[in-house]
Amino acid sequence: MTILAWKNLLHDKVRLVVTLTGIVFALVLIAVQFGMFLGFLDTSANVVEHNGADLWISAPGIPHVNGGSPIDESKRWKALGVPGVETAANYMVFFLNWKLPNGAFESCQIVGFDIDSGLGQPWDVVEGRLNDLRGQDTVFVDVLYKKKLGVEKIGDTLELNNKRVRVVGFTSGIRSFTTAPYVFASFKNAQNYMGLPESKTIFILLKTKPGVDVVATKAAVIQAVPNVDVFTREDMLDRTRAYWVFGTGAGTTTLLGAVLGLLVGIVVVAQTIYSATLDHLREFGTLKAMGATNGQIYRVIIVQALLAAVMGYVLGISVAWLVVQATTNTDLLIKLPPEIMVAVFGVTLLMCISASMLSIRKATSIDPAMVFRG
Amino acid sequence: MVLLETRNLVKTYGVGANAVNALNGVDMQVRSGEVLVLMGPSGSGKTTLVSILGGILSATSGSVILDGREIVGLPQKELPALRRDNFGFIFQGFNLFPALTAQENVAIMCKLKNVPNPNKHAAELLTQIGLGEKLKSYPADLSGGQKQRVAIARALAGDPRIILADEPTAALDSVSGRTVLEILSGLAKDRDRGVVIVTHDPRVLDYCDRIIHIEDGRVGSEELSKKKSEEVFA
Repeated sequence: MTILAWKNLLHDKVRLVVTLTGIVFALVLIAVQFGMFLGFLDTSANVVEHNGADLWISAPGIPHVNGGSPIDESKRWKALGVPGVETAANYMVFFLNWKLPNGAFESCQIVGFDIDSGLGQPWDVVEGRLNDLRGQDTVFVDVLYKKKLGVEKIGDTLELNNKRVRVVGFTSGIRSFTTAPYVFASFKNAQNYMGLPESKTIFILLKTKPGVDVVATKAAVIQAVPNVDVFTREDMLDRTRAYWVFGTGAGTTTLLGAVLGLLVGIVVVAQTIYSATLDHLREFGTLKAMGATNGQIYRVIIVQALLAAVMGYVLGISVAWLVVQATTNTDLLIKLPPEIMVAVFGVTLLMCISASMLSIRKATSIDPAMVFRG
Repeated sequence: MVLLETRNLVKTYGVGANAVNALNGVDMQVRSGEVLVLMGPSGSGKTTLVSILGGILSATSGSVILDGREIVGLPQKELPALRRDNFGFIFQGFNLFPALTAQENVAIMCKLKNVPNPNKHAAELLTQIGLGEKLKSYPADLSGGQKQRVAIARALAGDPRIILADEPTAALDSVSGRTVLEILSGLAKDRDRGVVIVTHDPRVLDYCDRIIHIEDGRVGSEELSKKKSEEVFA
């Protein structure tokens, strides 16, 4: 029966092309939209994900990591006094204006971190040394945003919030969810760029001692440091992702795109498999007349759908992979990890099998006596 | 030897005022080693009769005895196996699978009937009916006669005891028609199969043993063919 399914599929080339186009279109839509969603999850909170802190202290009521407001830097000492806290470091993420060489302005987000503790430092440094950020008026930018920020090479000088800055290094692939790229600097320099008094910080990052219960330490910090909010790393990740990915509607939109892709795929595949079934009704009737069971007929239809799914998947995932490759060096992150590729394969099989249900219903109703009717 | 027998077979389509009796109490027998022809005008009930004989259609009442076993009233789920194990079907329109080669068309029935080495068996069947050179040909590349011979080879897969053929020569020219009839006649004689042919084609009469005329859903008359009469009275 498999050979009948396979050959029926290949027999009508036009229908096969239409079926595969439908599957590929749906798969690319699903994979790319879901990949974008994963990319959003990553880029929206990458500075939280990578900064190494176990606990965050912030002003009360902040919505997310990019929306902090100043608190007293002295609270760091109180936090350091809490048992279980190993390191406490000042940290900031804040929107500032970056002046381009042509005089125009771009928004950027200054990330100020404590070089000594390393908490919040940039990752994926491809040029320059972190120690170079100890120098006055220095910054790191990401190679993806060179053009946007008017930067060409190490040593370029520009203006950040009307203060002169010198580029001393580059990271690669630290994307921003917003249109404002991240610019890394030492906390002290960042304070200066922002005009934040020395007695103030935006966040205090805490690193707990090895083996210490982070949640219990959080409770202790809340007791020890008044008038602040304290978040675990996961709290801050969730809060930030929820704001940017779902609060802005971006995540919902991409997920909706993936669901639409799935629906389009089901409709297109169902339509083509159904019309193929109608075309082959007489053959199925002949099979039934000659002794094939309904189960054997279903198998032909299901195998046909599965073969279409496998062919469509190979093509679709290849196209999706090309799309991902094409965006590698852009500020748009589309993630297509192996587990998602496997999941998309599962979705494809499910899509094609569910699409063939209508055909199976039709095949069930075939009266084998039709074979004697002219 | 009687392979298949009907007693007072009735088939009614529709209910109440719309009820139409397609068969009105048919009594007949299909015997091994003979070619039985069912003739009659359009709408007389021939196709309904052959469909019921082959377990494709259910009778309203009466009896169909296959090998001493009553098949009227069998559960629907038992009918596919009944058809698969006992009957070979040949259709007016050939009903070959266009996407499959001649060999694959036959092999798929061999697989359905769990015949060992289905591809080899299919090749042997096609060779036996003179299509050994056309194993890899698709139906679209075969003549009408060749298509019908492939259909015959397919009907023979699994070696069924009864062949039911619906207008097997209707779409064939005279030469191809004769070839097909010779094969069917040979099946009955050489392999002791029962062959039932539904037809309007008078050419068939030269190859059959017995003729049953169906009229208004009944057996109008039954006679030996001219050829059989000559054999009997020779």
